[in-house]
Amino acid sequence: MKLAIAVQRYGADINGGAELHARYIAERLARRADVEVVTTCARDYVSWRNELPPGVETVNGVAVRRFPVRHERVPREFGRLSDRVFRHRHSLADELAWLRAEGPASPDMVEYLARTPADYAVIFSYRYYHAWHAARRLHQKAVLVPTAERDPAIALGIFGPIFRGIRAVMYNSHEERALIEAATGNAAVPGVVVGVGSDVPAHTDGARFRRAFRIDRPFAIYIGRVDENKGCRELFDYFIRYAAVFPRGLDLVLVGSAVMPIPDHTRVHHLGFLPDRDKFDALAAADLLIMPSYYESLSMVALEAWALGRPVLANGRCDVLKGQCIRSNAGLYYESYEEFSEALYALESNGPLHARLGENGRAFFRRHYAWPVIEQKYFEMFARLDRETTRSTAVEPLPGWLARRRRSLPPAQDLLAGLPAGPATGRRTAA
Amino acid sequence: MADFSVRSDSVDVEQIMRQIRSRIRERRGVDYTEEEIRELANVKLEKFLDPRSVRSDLLDQFRRTKAAMPAPQNFAFEESTLYETHRGIIRWIRKLLNPILKLFFNPNPLIQALHIQSELNTRNAKREELDGLHFEVMHNLVIELTRLGIEVKNLKMRIEAMSSRLDFDERRARALEGVVMYRPGAAAPLQPPAGDNSRTIESDQERRSRRRRRRPRRRPGDRSDVQGPAADAAAPAGETDAHSPEAESRGGHAEPPDTPPDRS
Repeated sequence: MKLAIAVQRYGADINGGAELHARYIAERLARRADVEVVTTCARDYVSWRNELPPGVETVNGVAVRRFPVRHERVPREFGRLSDRVFRHRHSLADELAWLRAEGPASPDMVEYLARTPADYAVIFSYRYYHAWHAARRLHQKAVLVPTAERDPAIALGIFGPIFRGIRAVMYNSHEERALIEAATGNAAVPGVVVGVGSDVPAHTDGARFRRAFRIDRPFAIYIGRVDENKGCRELFDYFIRYAAVFPRGLDLVLVGSAVMPIPDHTRVHHLGFLPDRDKFDALAAADLLIMPSYYESLSMVALEAWALGRPVLANGRCDVLKGQCIRSNAGLYYESYEEFSEALYALESNGPLHARLGENGRAFFRRHYAWPVIEQKYFEMFARLDRETTRSTAVEPLPGWLARRRRSLPPAQDLLAGLPAGPATGRRTAA
Repeated sequence: MADFSVRSDSVDVEQIMRQIRSRIRERRGVDYTEEEIRELANVKLEKFLDPRSVRSDLLDQFRRTKAAMPAPQNFAFEESTLYETHRGIIRWIRKLLNPILKLFFNPNPLIQALHIQSELNTRNAKREELDGLHFEVMHNLVIELTRLGIEVKNLKMRIEAMSSRLDFDERRARALEGVVMYRPGAAAPLQPPAGDNSRTIESDQERRSRRRRRRPRRRPGDRSDVQGPAADAAAPAGETDAHSPEAESRGGHAEPPDTPPDRS
């Protein structure tokens, strides 16, 4: 079987959520199929500047074909268009302009994908230029991994025909599936909740981490970009209040590069970006993982924490994280300082509760996110698509020149507000 | 703080969160959202006077200002004031020429305006006397508010100190409770005594304590004084768990969370 994997950026040192997800999937599927990754020359997800050479290279045994991005993103223009399509009444032409402004605009990459000899093209991240155009051009082969979050982009009119016209959708979570189905009406399109696995080492050494970083107190850990968009400001605010009430409670260790100031507090330790070994040892040494993000389509770090038997304290306003905590019975969640404080205290002080949640996390990871499970779901979907050759797919054509310019589309934010929210607790046994 | 007893293999996260929320609701009294609480807090801060921004010598300063600026002299203005004079002949001539003067302009609005102004001046003088009283009241309020603020701060500090003590005690109690860990494979956890059994247990305990009272004091060197595994073996199952490595691990939580354990 030949597979093409299309993603906006790709590389061994590119650690964005969707990009890492794509790399893991490519490397795993390459064990049983002929995989080629089709991507851009960009490294930076803000500017899409061409930094890597175009052409073919091999990354961890997988062939990677890169195409240059035609123009970099202009943040001001993108911001203006985002404001227009998210907050005001707008036209389809505005949405298409927004898509172009967002990028990465690489028509050569789309052209190559349209002519790919692969049986299926696994396309990552619905909201980017390459995904929209590639899905339109090769809808009969397109298997989309949307990596959708609860943001207004999902309510834009241009994406509905894509989700309804492709062959299959590989969802990250039940919440993501419910959101996309409600926004685009694609319930008839074959779909499965898959997510992604993680290469969690069999042996970790928490003591080594404590020695290396001189951390001898019990601690909660946050792993990821230290960014306001990831809920870190709220985390700092809550944690400092908690630390004032519990002077001898847990410390907070932050792992990841910082794009916002970190409070100068004796119990907050920022270690910066760490290699995988240190990261997993840190997780093993930690009492729990805190995930303060409001928007996640799937938190790989949370899965890794569960794989290592560490409970998670998640932001309950993120439907996906909350849903996973409930389905796994392996984490608590908060929506206010009081809940944060109570839940953190419970995890910190109640040993039996901590141990049970950790065990549940391990079991949840093994059941739903172990690599054999993930691989099987992908290949089962391909087999199903092979069988369902009769189902005709077609992406609805764009309306005419005048119709595209008619300002008839409501603000995406308003549409998003009307979409169902909350964790998908009805399917507790599933991932 | 929430305390959840986990005695079985399964935990229900939703149930734990419900418990957490109900405890928070109980503490608050009303189920406000975080935003509503913030809004309420802001409103209160806006409405109340901040004692730190008020000068302590407010009243003295007011008195000094009053002394430096004496009240202006008022005047009485009636209909005849414009034509008044101490010379009778001039008053008579003015009266005589008044109709001619009124041919040039109408002095009545001028007379009325000045009369009203005079009335206002009188009223203002009376109000300024009241202002002194108002300032005095405000001054007293500020002093009281500052005193209360300091008192509240002291009370807050005391509450914090007490809550951290309580927190420490709770942790200690929980750590000790955690030592007696329920294991699914082992005997069932101790149930509260009921019916005749309770009497049996009570009488057992009484008997034991009587025996203890009757037991003669042991001398040093006595063989039964030796403590060790044999003594542990005689202890109830729950107590022996305290010395087992399992109990010392995270699951048993043999130590309070404040002490740094090596959980790797």
